Amino acid sequence: MNDVDDKTINLNYALDDDEDDNDDDDDGKVRENKNNILVKTMFLMEQHSSKTILKMYGNSLIRLVVEEGLNQIPWSPRSVTTPTGCQYDGVQFHRGTCGVSIVGAGDAMEQGLRQCCKSIIIGKLLIEHDPGSNEATVVFAKFPEDITFRKVMLLSPIISSGDTVIKAVEVLKDYGVPENNVILLNLFMTDVAVRTLSQSFPKMTILTSEVHPTAPRHFEERYFGVGAS
Amino acid sequence: MATRSNQLQMMGLLFSYGGESIMKNCITKSEGSLRKYGGSHSLIYISILILDYLLSSNQHKTQTPHFLRHASSFRNSMTTPVKNILVSSVKSANSIGRVTPSGSSCCKKIVFISGTYGIKVNKIHDVQKQSINQVYIEKTSTTITHWYARLTERRNPEGFFNFNFIHPQLFDLKSRITTFTRLRGYNARISLYSYIYIGKNPPPRTACMEVISITLGLVGYRPNDRKYLLDMKVFVDTDSDERLVRRMRRDISERGRELDGVLKQYFKFVKPAFDYYIAPSMVHADIIVPRGGENEVAINLIAQNVMTQLQQRGFKIREKLLHANFGMSRPNSLHLLPTTPQIRGLHTFIRNKDTPRDEFIFYSKRLIRLVIEHALTMLPFTSVTVDTPQGVPYEGKRIATEKICGVSILRAGETMENALCEVLKDVRIGKILIQTNLDTGEPELYYLRLPKDIKDYHIFLMDATVATGAAAIMAIRVLLDHEVPEDNISLCSLLMTEQGVHNIAYAFPKVKIVTTAVDPCVNEKFYIVPGIGNFGDRYFGTEPSDQ
Repeated sequence: MNDVDDKTINLNYALDDDEDDNDDDDDGKVRENKNNILVKTMFLMEQHSSKTILKMYGNSLIRLVVEEGLNQIPWSPRSVTTPTGCQYDGVQFHRGTCGVSIVGAGDAMEQGLRQCCKSIIIGKLLIEHDPGSNEATVVFAKFPEDITFRKVMLLSPIISSGDTVIKAVEVLKDYGVPENNVILLNLFMTDVAVRTLSQSFPKMTILTSEVHPTAPRHFEERYFGVGAS
Repeated sequence: MATRSNQLQMMGLLFSYGGESIMKNCITKSEGSLRKYGGSHSLIYISILILDYLLSSNQHKTQTPHFLRHASSFRNSMTTPVKNILVSSVKSANSIGRVTPSGSSCCKKIVFISGTYGIKVNKIHDVQKQSINQVYIEKTSTTITHWYARLTERRNPEGFFNFNFIHPQLFDLKSRITTFTRLRGYNARISLYSYIYIGKNPPPRTACMEVISITLGLVGYRPNDRKYLLDMKVFVDTDSDERLVRRMRRDISERGRELDGVLKQYFKFVKPAFDYYIAPSMVHADIIVPRGGENEVAINLIAQNVMTQLQQRGFKIREKLLHANFGMSRPNSLHLLPTTPQIRGLHTFIRNKDTPRDEFIFYSKRLIRLVIEHALTMLPFTSVTVDTPQGVPYEGKRIATEKICGVSILRAGETMENALCEVLKDVRIGKILIQTNLDTGEPELYYLRLPKDIKDYHIFLMDATVATGAAAIMAIRVLLDHEVPEDNISLCSLLMTEQGVHNIAYAFPKVKIVTTAVDPCVNEKFYIVPGIGNFGDRYFGTEPSDQ
């Protein structure tokens, strides 16, 4: 985890390791959450977790990551009147967010995103990645028309090599989305992927809950209960 | 004949005190009415007995002092009692009548046992109550009458219509000492003496460890008696004609006696007893308070002194106006969610009075989910290594306990149950209904449903808003009564006040408090300011229409 920049936020930041410190901000919250997150990731990684358990803990982990991701949206102050007649100084988030899910495991995160934002626009990308090669091809893409003006939450829970995501971000850029508008929401990443992604797209914000050399490829299959073709 | 011999026995006892005139008066003639103990006229001793009672798992107790020896040395010389002061650091509040389970983890307490008695029970009650009331500390009060020696069959009550009820020997002083020492320990049973019937009325009352325990009537106190450790002795003085008038009024109208009987008793027993036993002990007093309960200045002085002594011993007195604590450092047991923009945004939505109900429900559900997730981090965890399908081991964590229970305080707490079920598999849900009595302003328990073996569970106590903390404190007490250890409880709420946080942390320092925001204060209708309105009403749609 040496050369990641401070655009990468690991919800599961490990304080007590001997690794070099990340320059992450608001680490205090992160550390408190750490055990909680590790409980959930444990269930997701475990070989013998049943579908129900995996789905339940997967959903709650997705919720955590999505809530954290929504913190990245710009906001401005707003004052409201409470029922007791007093003023409360709060915030209002700017409109103009959308989610883009990568078909496959990304669909699992759509529901979590919708649970947080009722009617958020969700676009879709279908990317085929040949495991052997490094290349990935975009098969299907559907975005809102004004996506250039929106903050995009890229939903991809499991990232192993990172090639799929690289392709996805390139597609978004083709559609006119600036790189710093992209927020990647992820559950499991490998170290390789972290490095690759942060080097390729330094302005993109990456949010992950666990960085581990092995990514649980079985997640999609178990979550939906169907084997991959 | 039995009556006669009993009387002689009685006389024999009295004789040891040299009370010859009284002894003669004890030769009985039958009277038609019962006599009752008519209250005391004597000294007030406010004794401040401070103890440190440590409840560890081994039930280690402080050394209990040895018992009072019987009263032959009543007239011994005055010596200042040795102060045996131990200071405790942690405080916990229990109200009268609640039994602290022994072995519970609410550890050190400061117990004050203060003994008082003085001229005219009413006045003494006033003085002590007002002075101690000013100190705003939980207290229990007992009177010397609680230790009346049981009048056995052999002492035929009918023979004692002219009985001198005030004599020191009548009191079971030993058992008073026992009670005091037990009061320091855990709880003590104090028998209620009935004013109508001679004898003790079951069931005895249980008093818990209090901060201040006041005893009325210290007849039989000896100044060199170390067990009482009296720091301050106050004599409440009133003129004898006032005393007589008050006594007559009380006995005739309240206790239903006849004028003749009252006067007779007074002149036979009460007045001599005063002159003989009580007036002389005025010399022991440090302060003499005339005019009893109306004497505001004296009461203030006494209260100030008590508070000073308490504070000197490290006791932090709960302020009555807790919003004076605004800005004071928050207790350690409070775990506030970090104030991210999302949380503020959610608060903006739900605090806004114009938010429609479906949006209110939606955003409060999100906020509740965040609170529950945060509260989960308080649970104990163990490391565990699992196998993954990829064949690589993975080190994760598991929650160390399987027994987790959510207890929701209806109605507002019910909204939080769903979130808990979504996040934890196999979690049990209990319910408590506590509503505030609108007349008295006090919370009342209406409904209770908890799992049977709840004492083994980690409890998430859920209530959406906590204003003064009264309902939450009552709920926590209910749980403690079911033997749940105090540090197994986490109180989860969306919004609390400074006052509520301090109240709960003061009463139950080991309970973890999890909330998203802490507001400054509460308005006169007990709504949080700035607040959120009535959460239950807004969530369930049962708002009253605006006037």
